[in-house]
Amino acid sequence: MEHLGLSLALFGAALAAALAGIGSAIGIGVAGGAAAGVMTEDPNKFGSCLILQALPGTQGIYGLLIAFFVLNKLGLLGGAGAVALTWNQGLQILASCLPIAVVGWYSAIWQGKTSAASIQMIGKKPEAMGKAIILPAMVETYAVLALLTSILMLMGVQVG
Amino acid sequence: MGVARLKKAELYYHKSIHEQIAAALQETGSCQIISSSEENHSRPAGVEALISATDERLSDIRYLTRTLTPHYVDPVPALDRMLGERPEVTMTELEELAAKTDLKAVCDKTRAVERETGDNRQKLSDARNTALILSSLEFFPYPLSAITEGTKTLTGVIGTVKPGNVSGFKAALGDFSKYKDDSELIIAPYDEKTQDIYAALIYSRSIEAEIREVCAKHGFSPVEVPATLTGTAEEEKERFAGMISALEAKEAELDERLNALAEENVPTVQKLSDYYNSLSARYNGTAMSDETDSVMLTRFWLPAKSADDIRAKIEAISTDVELVLSDPAPDEEPPSLLTNGNTVRPFNILTELYSSPKYRGIDPTPLLAPFFWIFFGMCLGDAGYGIVVFGLILFVFKKYKKIAPGVKDFITLFLFCSVSTFIYGVISGSFFGNFIDAFLPPLIPMKNALMLVDPMTNPMQVLGISLLLGVIHLMFGLLVAAYDMLRNGEIIDAIGDKISWFFFIVGLCLYGVGLGGMLPPHFVQIGGAMAIIGAVIIFIYAGKGEPNYAKKVINGFLALYGSTSYLGDILSYSRLLALGFGSAVIGMVINLLGGLAAEIPYVGWLVAITVVIGGHIFSIAINILGSFVHPLRLQYVEFFGKFYSGGGEPFTPLTLSQEYVNVRA
Repeated sequence: MEHLGLSLALFGAALAAALAGIGSAIGIGVAGGAAAGVMTEDPNKFGSCLILQALPGTQGIYGLLIAFFVLNKLGLLGGAGAVALTWNQGLQILASCLPIAVVGWYSAIWQGKTSAASIQMIGKKPEAMGKAIILPAMVETYAVLALLTSILMLMGVQVG
Repeated sequence: MGVARLKKAELYYHKSIHEQIAAALQETGSCQIISSSEENHSRPAGVEALISATDERLSDIRYLTRTLTPHYVDPVPALDRMLGERPEVTMTELEELAAKTDLKAVCDKTRAVERETGDNRQKLSDARNTALILSSLEFFPYPLSAITEGTKTLTGVIGTVKPGNVSGFKAALGDFSKYKDDSELIIAPYDEKTQDIYAALIYSRSIEAEIREVCAKHGFSPVEVPATLTGTAEEEKERFAGMISALEAKEAELDERLNALAEENVPTVQKLSDYYNSLSARYNGTAMSDETDSVMLTRFWLPAKSADDIRAKIEAISTDVELVLSDPAPDEEPPSLLTNGNTVRPFNILTELYSSPKYRGIDPTPLLAPFFWIFFGMCLGDAGYGIVVFGLILFVFKKYKKIAPGVKDFITLFLFCSVSTFIYGVISGSFFGNFIDAFLPPLIPMKNALMLVDPMTNPMQVLGISLLLGVIHLMFGLLVAAYDMLRNGEIIDAIGDKISWFFFIVGLCLYGVGLGGMLPPHFVQIGGAMAIIGAVIIFIYAGKGEPNYAKKVINGFLALYGSTSYLGDILSYSRLLALGFGSAVIGMVINLLGGLAAEIPYVGWLVAITVVIGGHIFSIAINILGSFVHPLRLQYVEFFGKFYSGGGEPFTPLTLSQEYVNVRA
C-alpha cells in the first residue's frame, strides 16, 4: 500500500491528459468535418477554417499541462526520483485533476459543435469571421476556468 | 479620433462627362454613392449599355478564371502575393491592355480545348469500363460476336449466377436434353469465395423462349456486353489497352495545352479582372444617379476632410458642374468611417469585426485599444515570444514594401502586442518558458531582479491583478455608458442605471480590499458608504414608475440581484492568469522535454535543439490564437456589454478593384 498515493496521483494526471484529449479529438473531428464540407465549395477558406477547427484543441493542451504539472510535482520528470506520498495526498492530487479532466472533455466536444456551426457560417458569410471566432470561444471560457481551478488546487496540495 | 464627420454631396453635371466624373470619384476612393431616392428609379440609358457591355466581359473573365486558374502555376509564392508583391499598373495601362486583348478569342480557344478534354474524358471512361467487363469475360473461348451478333441460327447470353444456384441451373438445363445438341453452357472457373459466377450460354434461336424461362427461374442475371465487341476476349482486351493508352496520351496533351493557355493568359486575365470590376463598380455607381434630359445628379457621402480635394478634382474636369455639400439631416443615418491615428488605427479591425458604430455613436476603438494591448500581453506573456513576433514582423515590413493598408494594420496590431508581451514576460520572469532557469543559470539573478510578479509560486497575486484589471475595465465601460447617456440628456438614467452601479461595485471592492488589510482602514468606511449609496440609488431607480409599493420593493431587490452578473463578469478576467500561466507552463514543458532529450548519448544536443525550437514555434502559434481570441472576448462580451452595441453601416466608398494588381493613380 505504500505506493497507493503515487498511484492515485498518477491516475489523476492520466485522467486530465486522457479525458481532455479525447474531448479535443472529438471536437476537432466534428469541426474538421464541417470544414471539409465548406472547403469543397471554396478551397480558399482553408485558413479561416483551420483557425476555427483548432479552437477546440486547447482543452487537450490544458489537460497535458495539468498532467505535466502533476508529474513535475511528483518528481517524476528528470532524474530526481518520486517523492513520498501518503494515500491522502494522492487523493488530493487526483481531485485537483478532475476539473480540467471532466470540463475539458465535455467543453471540447461542445466547442467543436459550435466551431462546426461557425465554419458553416463563414461558408456563407466570410466577412463574419470575427463573430464566428467568438462563439466557440464562449464555450472555452469554462475550460479556462476549470484549468485555473485545477492549477490553484494543485498548488495548494502540499507534498514531499 | 472616432467616427469621421461626413458631408452629403449632390453633384450636378452634364450627361456627356459622366464617365470622367465617375472615374474621378472612384480614384479618390472616398465617396460612397447614395442610391437615388426616387421611386421606380430606372438606370440612365447610356449607363445601362455600358453596364451590360462590362458584364459581358466580366462573364468571360469569370469563365477564364475558373477554367484556367487551376492550371496556372504562379511564379510568385501565394504569401508574397498576399503581402503585396503584385504588378503595379495604372488605369491607363489597363485600358490599353483591355483594348488590345481579344478576350473572346481566348475564351473560344479555351472552350475548344475544354470541350475536347470533356469528350476525351468520356471516351476514356467508356473504354475503361469496357476493359473492366472484358477482364471477367476471359473464360469465354469463342469470339464475342457469338453473343453480341449471333449467327442465323445461334445466339448467346452472358451473365452471372449466385453460387447457390449453380447446380440447380445446370440441372435445369440438363433437363432440356432434347435441346442438348442445340445449346452449350460454359461456366467460368470459380471457388467458394466467388460471389458472382460468370456463365455463358449459347443456344439455338428456336429455343430462346424456354432458355429465357430457365434463366429467370434460376437467378441468372444477364450482363450487357457492348455491341462493339466482336473478337475473342483476349483480342478485344489488347485492342482496348491500346485505345486506353492512346486516350491517356491525348488527355495529357490536352492538359498540357490548357497549362500553356493558362501560362499565357492568366496574368492578363487577372489584370483585366481588376480593370473590368473597377469599371463595373463605377458604372453601377453612376447608375444610381438621377437624370433629366441633359443633366445628371449623383449623390454621395464623403468625409468632410476630403471635401476640398474632391471639389478640386471635379472642377478640373469641367467648370460646368455644381457640387452642393450639406450636413447629414437628423433623420438620415450616414455610414460610419473610423478615423484613428496611427497608434489606434490597427485596433479598428477589432471594432469592425464586432460591428461598426452608428454615425452619431461612440467609436469604442481608442477605449478598448489599451486594454486589449495589456490583456494580449498578459495572455501570451513571454519575453522570448515577444521578441520572436516583433522580429518576424519587422522582417516582413522590411522585405515587403507594398503591403495593402488593411493587411498592414492587422500585422501592426500584433507588432504592438508583441511589445506588451515582452514587457509582461520580463515582469513575470518568463523567457521562452523557464529557458533561463533550465539552460542559462548565470542569467537567473538578472531575471529575478526584473521580476515584479511570480505567477508560478504566487498565482493568487496575479489572479488579484487580473480581477482588478477586470474591475477597472468594467467600471470604465460603465462610465463611458454614463457619459453617452449624459451626452444625450438622459441624466436620471445615467445616474440610476450606470453611476449607481459604479459606486456600488467600486465601493464593495474598496470595502473588501480594505478589510483584507491591503489598504488603510478608513477605506473600509469610504467603500462601505459608496456601496450603500450606490445600492440605494439602484433600489430606488428600479422602482421608478411603479405605483404599487410592494412591486417597487420587489423590483428594487431584483435589480440588486443583478450584481451577480457583475460578479460573473469580473471572474471572467481570471482567464488572463490562466492563459498566461498556460503559455508559461507549455514553454516549461518544452524546455523540460528538451532537457530530457539532451541526455540521449551523442545526438542528444541535436534532438534537444529540434525539440526546443519546434516546440516553441508550436507554442507561439497556439498561444497567439488564444491570446487574440480571449482578450477579444473580454472586449466584446464584458466591455461592450456595458455600453456598445454597434449597428452602424460601415463606410464603403467607390474604389478601384485591386484583387490581383496594385493600381496606381
